[in-house]
Amino acid sequence: MAEVILKNVKKIYQGNVTAVHDFNLDIADKEFVVFVGPSGCGKSTTLRMIAGLEDISEGTITIDGQVVNDLQPKDRHISMVFQNYALYPHLTVFENIAFPLRLMRPRMSNDDIYKRVTDVAEILGITPYLTRKPKALSGGQRQRVAIGRAMVKNCKVFLMDEPLSNLDAKLRNQMRAEIILLHKKIQTTFVYVTHDQTEAMTLGDRIVIMKDGLIMQVGTPSEVFDKPKNLFVAEFIGAPKMNTFPAKLTLKDGKYYVTAFGATLPVEGEKAKLLKAKVQVPPEGKDIILGVRPEHMELAEKPHPGAIHVSIEVSEMMGSEVHLHVLTADKTPLIVRVATMPLSEEQRAKLNAGNDVDVEFEGKVMQFFDPKTQLSLLYAD
Amino acid sequence: MEETKVTPTESVETTPVTNDMAFTPAPFKDKKHMGLKRKRVIGNVIIYIILVVMSIIWLFPFVCIVLQSFRCESTQPVGYIIPQKWGFDNYVNLFTKTNFPKWLTNTLIISVVTALVQTVIVLCMSYTLSRLRFKGRKFLMNFMLVLGMFPGMLTMIILYRVLADLGMTQANSIPGLILVYVASSGMGYYISKGFFDTLPKSLDEAARVDGATNAQVLTKVILPLSKPIVIYTLLTAFMGPWGDFVFARYVSFGTSSGMNVAVGLQDFLSTAGNTFKNYTMFCAGGVVVAVPITILFMLLQKYYVEGVTGGAVKG
Repeated sequence: MAEVILKNVKKIYQGNVTAVHDFNLDIADKEFVVFVGPSGCGKSTTLRMIAGLEDISEGTITIDGQVVNDLQPKDRHISMVFQNYALYPHLTVFENIAFPLRLMRPRMSNDDIYKRVTDVAEILGITPYLTRKPKALSGGQRQRVAIGRAMVKNCKVFLMDEPLSNLDAKLRNQMRAEIILLHKKIQTTFVYVTHDQTEAMTLGDRIVIMKDGLIMQVGTPSEVFDKPKNLFVAEFIGAPKMNTFPAKLTLKDGKYYVTAFGATLPVEGEKAKLLKAKVQVPPEGKDIILGVRPEHMELAEKPHPGAIHVSIEVSEMMGSEVHLHVLTADKTPLIVRVATMPLSEEQRAKLNAGNDVDVEFEGKVMQFFDPKTQLSLLYAD
Repeated sequence: MEETKVTPTESVETTPVTNDMAFTPAPFKDKKHMGLKRKRVIGNVIIYIILVVMSIIWLFPFVCIVLQSFRCESTQPVGYIIPQKWGFDNYVNLFTKTNFPKWLTNTLIISVVTALVQTVIVLCMSYTLSRLRFKGRKFLMNFMLVLGMFPGMLTMIILYRVLADLGMTQANSIPGLILVYVASSGMGYYISKGFFDTLPKSLDEAARVDGATNAQVLTKVILPLSKPIVIYTLLTAFMGPWGDFVFARYVSFGTSSGMNVAVGLQDFLSTAGNTFKNYTMFCAGGVVVAVPITILFMLLQKYYVEGVTGGAVKG
């Protein structure tokens, strides 16, 4: 039960490669924080610095009020689950889970160890496998054992380094739900690292999106989804990724308009208010990058001045929806996500590759970015 | 590590004939398949013939020594192999009329102590070089590699002086020899370091997060996973002193009670007169020396092979 504070944390490897730049984050007690980003963004390095497996080049890390920079991993009261499970192959499942308890000083009695291990095994549903060696377990069972080993000692912070990456898609979904339940049950601070934005969105109370050793944005899943601070976050969160394309923002008679691919759309409501408060639009208009999520693009029933005429390159049938990879007149690729349920057979037939369609979207779903700084015009600090 | 090994002959498809299978039709016989099978049989026959011939050449000297050691009609070298009169006289004389038991004890003490101490040093060294990162690590590894290329004999004279000054020569040769064998043993780290390198580092990290110190990581995680390499290190460390002649010869110089078996047995044949008198006893001594090491190897052969190839195939 503890809060974790990272203050100006830096990681500089030999040869002056900076893996993490000036990382500042307060993780509240019992919070579930997810570090997410593409590979090489420094998320695992940051986690390993919290664990004590990497030295901290600069800055301080505080766990439960104690600066842990110079403490060994064993003295930090943390547990960790590794991507490749890191189970001890020569020990049975029971002994794997009991391992941290056997190292405890003063020594724990065998009866206590037995009770703790069987309790944990019960929670994770691995009681039948306690006498087996890790070799004789499936991937999901191994991951449960690894989680069990991390759970068994009452740690202050629970660290997970891409624990689901080695599992198949179905099992991953199942384990994701189990991890959420586990967090509820054991009520500990969780720090979770993943490269998968779906995992980050579903698991985290807060998400830390990283790129090249820098924090791009910290926020709740809905914040980072609805109010991305920059182009990177906008494109990284959400699947399929957000469509971004050059557009022109103009102000006419107190109303904002966006022009892209020859179509002009009005910006209204909340977004218009924010634009008014934050953006200066010159009389000739302002070049911007416009972002629209694929699910916010809709098929227009017939061509109109606010619709973009596109041709379908690839049509991916996903069951309940179709992902259309389309090209605009100037060959800009876009993705459109269309729910199949409301469509008639005839309409569905139109969605095959090679056909032309018109797509439209509303002003309230637009995101505006500065083409130079790539920062959001509405939500950047 | 403990996968069941299937020998090539077991993997040959055979149709087991049991009552349950009485009604199954005979397998379809294809001439091409017969051709393949015949080719394989011919290939195997040739390989086995070569192997048998090699084994005979290889084993012939050993068989001769064993047969000579049981010869009772005479003690000198003779022009035939099969003894005319068989018996254990040579063995009995070896243990009752010579200093051989003392030499054997000396050798055993030296070898066992050396094996244990050297194994501890080598494993600690390998673990350190494999897992810890410190300044000068690369330099140390290269330095030891180069140093190890110089023959140990170069240091013979100076070593003798040092040992003589410490009073560890001749009758007191046991501690002296142990010191000589153990002294530079850390340099033989390559093979076990190579093995340790193949063990995933996340195991160490998991253990450290679980509360283990460096020493506990080594003893509770790394070593149990490195059984083959531990046995390999023990065996090679035991073998060195067990068969050493040169160092043992000059450290024990001229003192029978300080000799090891190799030096003592050589003493049997030091002159033509001795050879005439002791030849069959010498053979018996050779057999006695070879037996424990042979048994050790036969018992631990599986691990030994795994240890040698450990760097290539993860256990």
